[in-house]
Amino acid sequence: MLKFIKPRRAGMMSRGKSQSRDERPTNKPDQTVTSGGSSKKQVLTPDLETNLREIKSILNNCSDVVYREFVFAQNEQLKLALIYTDGLVDNAQVSDQIMRALALEVPMSVPGQQITKARALEFIRERGLCIHQINESAQLEDIIRSILSGDTVLLVDGHATAIINKARGWEMRSITEPEAETTVRGPREAFVESLRVNTALIRRKIKSPNLKVEALRLGEVTDTDIAIIYIKGIVNEKLVAEVKSRLERIEIDGILESGYIEELIEDSPWSFFPTINHSERPDRVAAMLLEGRVAILVDGTPFVLSVPTLFVEFLQATEDYYHRFLFSSAIRLLRFLAMIITLTLPGLYIAVLAFHHELLPTALLLSIAAQHESVPYPVIIEVLLMEVTFEILREAGIRLPRPIGQAVSIVGALVIGEAAVRAGLVAAATVIVVAGTGIASFVIAYNLSASLRLLRFLIMFLSAFLGLFGLISGLAVIGIHLCTLRSFGVPYLSPLVPITGVNLTDTLIRAPWWAMFYRPRLIARQNQKRLAQGLKPSPPPSRRKG
Amino acid sequence: MLEHGKIDGKQAIFLMLSVVLPTAILTIPAGIVRTARQDAWLSVMAATLAVLLIAWLVVSLSLRFPGKTLCEYAEEILGKTLGKIVCLLYIWLFFLYAGSGAVRQFSFFLVTAMMPETPIEVFSITVVAVAAYAVRNGLEVLCRFNQLFLPVTGLLAIVFFLSTIEMKPARLLPVFDAGLLPIVKGTVMPTMLMGEIVLLAMIIPYLNKPEEAQRIAILSALFNGFVLTASTLEALLIFGPDLAAHWIFPTFNAVRVISIANFLERLESVIVAFWVLGGFVKVGVFYYVAVLGSAQCLNLKDYRPLVLPVGVILVSFSSFMHGENIVDMIYYISQIQVPFMLIVFEVGIPLLLLIIALVRGKGGQSS
Amino acid sequence: MRKKIAILLLLFFLSGLLGGCWSRSEIGEEAIILGTGVDLTEDGLIRLSVQIASPGAFSAGGDTSGGGKEPPAWVVWAEGETIEDAERYLAMKVPRRIYWDHSIILVIGERMAKRGTEMVSNFFLRTGEPRENMWLMVARGEARDILQAQPMLAKTSAQATGFLTRMKTGYIVQIWEYAEMRASKGVQPVVTGVEVQDFGEGRGPGQGENSTVQKKVELSGVAVLKVDKLIGWLDAHETRGLLWLKGEAKEGAVIVPSPGEPGKEVSIKIRRSHTKIVPEYDGENLWFNVNIYVEGDMVEQQSRVDLAKPEQIKALETAMSEEIKARTTATLEKAQTEYGLDIFGFGNAFHRKYRKEWREMQNHWDEEFSRAGVNIAVEAHVRGIGLLSMPAGSPEK
Repeated sequence: MLKFIKPRRAGMMSRGKSQSRDERPTNKPDQTVTSGGSSKKQVLTPDLETNLREIKSILNNCSDVVYREFVFAQNEQLKLALIYTDGLVDNAQVSDQIMRALALEVPMSVPGQQITKARALEFIRERGLCIHQINESAQLEDIIRSILSGDTVLLVDGHATAIINKARGWEMRSITEPEAETTVRGPREAFVESLRVNTALIRRKIKSPNLKVEALRLGEVTDTDIAIIYIKGIVNEKLVAEVKSRLERIEIDGILESGYIEELIEDSPWSFFPTINHSERPDRVAAMLLEGRVAILVDGTPFVLSVPTLFVEFLQATEDYYHRFLFSSAIRLLRFLAMIITLTLPGLYIAVLAFHHELLPTALLLSIAAQHESVPYPVIIEVLLMEVTFEILREAGIRLPRPIGQAVSIVGALVIGEAAVRAGLVAAATVIVVAGTGIASFVIAYNLSASLRLLRFLIMFLSAFLGLFGLISGLAVIGIHLCTLRSFGVPYLSPLVPITGVNLTDTLIRAPWWAMFYRPRLIARQNQKRLAQGLKPSPPPSRRKG
Repeated sequence: MLEHGKIDGKQAIFLMLSVVLPTAILTIPAGIVRTARQDAWLSVMAATLAVLLIAWLVVSLSLRFPGKTLCEYAEEILGKTLGKIVCLLYIWLFFLYAGSGAVRQFSFFLVTAMMPETPIEVFSITVVAVAAYAVRNGLEVLCRFNQLFLPVTGLLAIVFFLSTIEMKPARLLPVFDAGLLPIVKGTVMPTMLMGEIVLLAMIIPYLNKPEEAQRIAILSALFNGFVLTASTLEALLIFGPDLAAHWIFPTFNAVRVISIANFLERLESVIVAFWVLGGFVKVGVFYYVAVLGSAQCLNLKDYRPLVLPVGVILVSFSSFMHGENIVDMIYYISQIQVPFMLIVFEVGIPLLLLIIALVRGKGGQSS
Repeated sequence: MRKKIAILLLLFFLSGLLGGCWSRSEIGEEAIILGTGVDLTEDGLIRLSVQIASPGAFSAGGDTSGGGKEPPAWVVWAEGETIEDAERYLAMKVPRRIYWDHSIILVIGERMAKRGTEMVSNFFLRTGEPRENMWLMVARGEARDILQAQPMLAKTSAQATGFLTRMKTGYIVQIWEYAEMRASKGVQPVVTGVEVQDFGEGRGPGQGENSTVQKKVELSGVAVLKVDKLIGWLDAHETRGLLWLKGEAKEGAVIVPSPGEPGKEVSIKIRRSHTKIVPEYDGENLWFNVNIYVEGDMVEQQSRVDLAKPEQIKALETAMSEEIKARTTATLEKAQTEYGLDIFGFGNAFHRKYRKEWREMQNHWDEEFSRAGVNIAVEAHVRGIGLLSMPAGSPEK
């Protein structure tokens, strides 16, 4: 692996930033394909044997590549060769629609007519194959990539052009229910690992010719397919250009998940806060696209990125838009509260217990003081102990196989919590606070809650140091930081700050659908209106009279 | 241009609220009640009118020189040397002195009221450090941060002030008890503190609609006046003129005695915590204009290198320039800062600049 | 650069952590004071007594594993020249940091109050930790005894007293309200009186033999202060009059003779009341018109007369006015003749109306007040008569 990367890096450094985009495809074979060191673009020769030898030498030791040579039914002198990767092709199609067609059925369709070697390629392309999509290429690099992507390559003797048949078909997970973003109401399908299936899932929701799916390949070694999806006419064109330029900048050996791309294109790499959101739900991504965002799909992962991302997105669940708005708004507020609890509750607890006892009612103060009679540690140590334990338990619960994971949570919740209190290690109130915080952190989107969980420790230290003043200073720094953040040029906190009045309908509350007239103003810049006026349902006039 | 950000009218008004209120809300009631007794709120209202004049003066001056801050057009009006001197006076004696005064009041209040055992420097360094972070990121971020928390704080304050049952309107009577003179005397201090909105002169060029400046100045002066009148009234209605004059921070004590339904009580540390956010912004704005003005005075391309040194100056000024204890501090505010700042920086120099500009015919569109 | 600054900041905060947290005091390291008492000893020293809660007795959930019954509070005292001095001596006896914020009551002993309450209140208003809304009271006797009393229904006497005051049956005052009266020239301060009494006969079951003599705390009238020194008391009856005149009689009942059946009483519970004081001054004569408005519900009737009639209700209202007038007149006379002090705030009312005259009268106001005439007019209304229309067995008409 290193061998591939090192020269690349050196090359990058020597060439500097001035390296042009056009060079890349030419350079690619240097690194990935040829080991011999010839730097010229390799093309096929008319000789089948030479071609096969060349391909075999490149795909040396690739035992999963299959070479099948046979003769053309119309002309026994004409040799053909099929090359494909076993397991990536649809065997039935390859056998029936390619092999059978070419080796047996061609004479039936064209009785008594010898096809010359020279016309063979054209004939095969036009009448011989029963494959829905074929390409032609003379470039060895294309051919190799096609083979490895699951296409079936047909070489015809005497022609320096190969026919690439899209007869892909491999074992893959079927579309299942979303695991990370479950809902009570809403579509029950989630993205899968196959890019094509994923684009199809989105296309099925948005049947507009304006839904554009632009393809891109990234990763020197993995050569991963990427798709940039947006709705022309809604999306801000500059945004699309920006996304593309950021993606094309990437030079990396491999991309195995959209997280790679996320970290390589985000605005503030040092920030605790995620400035790119991801989702595994086609309906959510479709909604994002309708608001003028750009989605980035990566082959091999069900998680689709969407940019730009606003802070409020993490408080919005897909389901909010399906339930009735009053309930959704209440849940939004609840989530907002949960976010504040996740960030501040342990810090507040420490500040109150170590500095501001007056905030507690006398009875509660005495009760908590009684619990702390036997606890030997300062409250910060106590909370840290429980918080770290809780984080370990949570991580254990995620990593372990599901049946054991549940056992872990029982052990954690009951045994450790109860026993720690009994043993006088921590006060019962501390356990309540830590558990409450943990539960609150489950309510908000996972990637935001992850950053809040980290920041919570900062807040805890500051609170232990300066009480509420420390807590609020920490919050101020976080607040200022949030104000500096942008996601693809859009202020992270908008529409809250700077206030965009018309977009407040979809922030801490969700306005009814008949009142959400506009797309986010700072995202969809030109085409903002999404809803006709006067859609609020009202009883028909006839009934109003009576 | 040193600052690339643009702010809108709402943000500018919010910013001016944060410039004046955080310290004024603490110091004003005690200061005026001592002289004007139960008519203190009338003093604040009169001061509001005076501040409207100051605001009008400064904004008219700024609007004659679109796109320029006070430091820049001072040079244009007075010539290079004199202009730079005026600019430096503003930076050192107004922005930095009043800014460090805010740091001092902020820290002293926290030490006196909340955490007496903590060294005062901890608070002054922390507030300047947090403000520095915002200042480094520019005016836009400062304004947004302000916009983020101010509505929450305002809402909280209103809820608390309204929920007091201890208020008795009779405590405001009789009106004009000691005649007009004490009321007039009482206007001086609030005029000076609210007059700090002359900082607008440094910010107007960065408004996205500079033609709104007049409206912004007037609205922020009115809002400030309203909130300060309300807080003075709050202190008077709860404590009456006799006791209100005894406290150093009557507003704080008012918050302390509030008890809602016998369980929402003793919440002053929460209120103070939110108030602290306002303190950050107040210090941040003074800090920012000092940094920006210095950069313009020194013809720098970027103001960021100045953030650290100016911060150090702010912290050291706050420790050494405002006396040793709280009595000194109050004395400095009422006896030195008030007349000096008001006469020289809030009225004197702007008026002079405007007159010279008119005489020399400098400056384009007069509004 | 930004990273460097962030790291510097972080280091600064972390070093602060190592250096020590200055104002930090852990909840388990504090002596939580519930009640405070200040007495003057025979030797002229100030004795500060505090009632410290022992948290073990307050733990929720009834964890019975703890050994035995812990007394809910510990009363400890120390003497010194000033209150702070006494507090320092106290700190030598209490193994934890003394924490004032939750002190519910501040009791001043009778002798101390005679010496001057200002000496006490100043400390508690100046230091930030004790709260301005502590209930202030003057003990008949020693303040320490109040703290040592063991009441029922509340674990400590301080809490019991706090609840008693919140019921608003008597005249109650928080320390800042006292400070306001003290600062004002138009009113003399009055402070809740409190005393200790034995439980007496009405002991609950199971408390008879082995318990030592339990004491209860009782609100008893108000202490009248001249400037800040105790000069006398008003008893419970007179306190009612004080409440009427101050316009604070929001709770309680008026007991009036039943119309038509002398010797039997009717109780009227107060629902709403307010008082208006209108001063009149013509340059020589000063008099006050006090208008009291009260609404109440009849809650009890001893007589057998049918009172559910308009004319009877009218009679009831007249009786009610008479009763209130009698009460207030008695209190007023005591204040004017015996103490010569304006404890009702008539001065403030006068100030509001005659601000010019007030300027020279404020310095000898109490004499002016003692000479002033007072007309009391009561407007009483009976709104409800409860669920009964007439008592059982009342003669049919």
